[in-house]
Amino acid sequence: MNVHAASGDTWGISGPTFLRYYIAAAVLVVAIVAYHRIRLAAGSSAAMTADPLGPQQVAYLNGGPQLAVHAALGGLRGSGAVGVRPDRRLTTVGAAPTGLTPLDQAIHWAAHQHSRVRDLPQDERVRVALHQIRNGLEQRGLLTNDAQRARARFWATLLIALLGLGVLRLVSGLFSGRPVGYLLLTLVTLLIVTLVLRRVPVLTRAGRAALRSVRRQHTHLAPASAPAYATYGAAGAAMGVALYGTASLWALDPGFAEQAEIQRQAAAGSGWSGGSDGSSGGGDSSGSDGGSSCGGGGGGCGGGGGCGG
Amino acid sequence: MRGRRRVRRMTGPSGVGIGWRPEIAGFVAELPGLRFVEVVAEGVPASGPLPPGLTQLRDRAVTVVPHGVRLSLGGAEPVDPARVAHLAAVAQRLDAPLVSEHIAFVRAGGLEAGHLLPLPRSREAVDAVCANVARAQAELPVPIALEPIAALLDWPDDELTEADFLTEILDRTGALLLLDVANVHANARNRGADPLALLDRLPLERVAYAHVAGGAEHGGLYHDTHTDPVPTAVLELVGALCARRRPPALLLERDGHYPPAAELRAELDALASAAGFPAVT
Repeated sequence: MNVHAASGDTWGISGPTFLRYYIAAAVLVVAIVAYHRIRLAAGSSAAMTADPLGPQQVAYLNGGPQLAVHAALGGLRGSGAVGVRPDRRLTTVGAAPTGLTPLDQAIHWAAHQHSRVRDLPQDERVRVALHQIRNGLEQRGLLTNDAQRARARFWATLLIALLGLGVLRLVSGLFSGRPVGYLLLTLVTLLIVTLVLRRVPVLTRAGRAALRSVRRQHTHLAPASAPAYATYGAAGAAMGVALYGTASLWALDPGFAEQAEIQRQAAAGSGWSGGSDGSSGGGDSSGSDGGSSCGGGGGGCGGGGGCGG
Repeated sequence: MRGRRRVRRMTGPSGVGIGWRPEIAGFVAELPGLRFVEVVAEGVPASGPLPPGLTQLRDRAVTVVPHGVRLSLGGAEPVDPARVAHLAAVAQRLDAPLVSEHIAFVRAGGLEAGHLLPLPRSREAVDAVCANVARAQAELPVPIALEPIAALLDWPDDELTEADFLTEILDRTGALLLLDVANVHANARNRGADPLALLDRLPLERVAYAHVAGGAEHGGLYHDTHTDPVPTAVLELVGALCARRRPPALLLERDGHYPPAAELRAELDALASAAGFPAVT
């Protein structure tokens, strides 16, 4: 192959030269992104402990902070500690039970202040308690931490930038009537790889395994079994919500769930995929943070014939 | 072709057991000393995956006895072969040492009653039951235990006493007896009879296991609800039964309004101590 920058070459670089360097760069960045992805998913195995996961931790893994709040609420309702008023605000019944987790205490306090269920995730004490749960799960290597995700996201962004550069070259090539077939092929491949690697996992592999194992141990709490929550107690109610979503809260106490305006949702069960610590989502299905506006176009483009030179 | 394969069967029911229900599967799974449960046969699929809780119990070598409620052995028409086949298939799947059904009818002339209805204690009824039990026995891979049901009142044209009626059926069919202690209590109480007198006239050596359930009194009548705690009188009757001849196993039946785990465990313990069996909790 004779490579001399001919006057007709796009950006003054010949097609094969560009393609060679472009593919080399793409392979390098993809390798780095994949490396981070694998490390991220594997988690830091160092901090694995044998401590069993509590319902709120399981809920956090399964559906994020929102589901953790609902699981705690299920436990508190299961023990009869909270109720709902006709104005749809929470209230407490009797003294707080013993053995409450920090999140339970925060929600119990908020209920005492007659908070609404939908406002709970924004409550200051609740937020602090949720943060504690999150930190604990990160330390155990079940959730990826912010730094890990930022690093993974940086490289994924670089991948998208590379894709953008390729698209620019493609467009320029098309305008100047150069053959672009191989470039197009490369870009399509890169686009697919980017789409696969773009999403940064929230759960580590250990996190997903832990969730699966807890679910196997608690199949009796599946709503299809009409579990006897009176028998399973508050912990059973909380774990039912943690694993099977607010559908369990509705099964536990439909009157309470309706009056407190809790949306009926079944947790899909593959683990939480939500992004920020915010209040949205709840179930597990909803997508992650933005990011979906990936490198422009790439679709249509029929034209590219032969190529090579 | 019906496969009569030989299966590794569990030992017969022993000690204190509990009726396995999906609602309390997690509770039952955590009873450390449990050797025996009973499961509603119609709730177990003949093929496809078993409920996970039952699989776990089988892995623990806990004996699982399928308990039919829809066979209608007391019906005038022959038992439905499909229902018998299902019971047989479930027995095979669970490696059950026996199955049980009620001496009752649940449908007549194509109409489903939706629950168990008592038979008049006539010779004709004995013939009908025996014919149906024989039909079921021909297809079942394991012995069958028959359970008489509670009746709030007697049919006007009863020719036989309760004890004679049962003994006649058991003698002619060779079936085992599933004695419901709460029913004995209910029948005696509601008719002003002595439950011990009935116990004395029943063939206690044929009892495969006994049911014990809770009940409540409404309007002067005792109702065998299965949703209330076991009353002291029923526990005392369990003691009296065991003093005469202790059945190999006792089974606590609870079908709804499930209490907190601690209460359910206390019921199992009370049953164990009334019968002198080891506690399963």
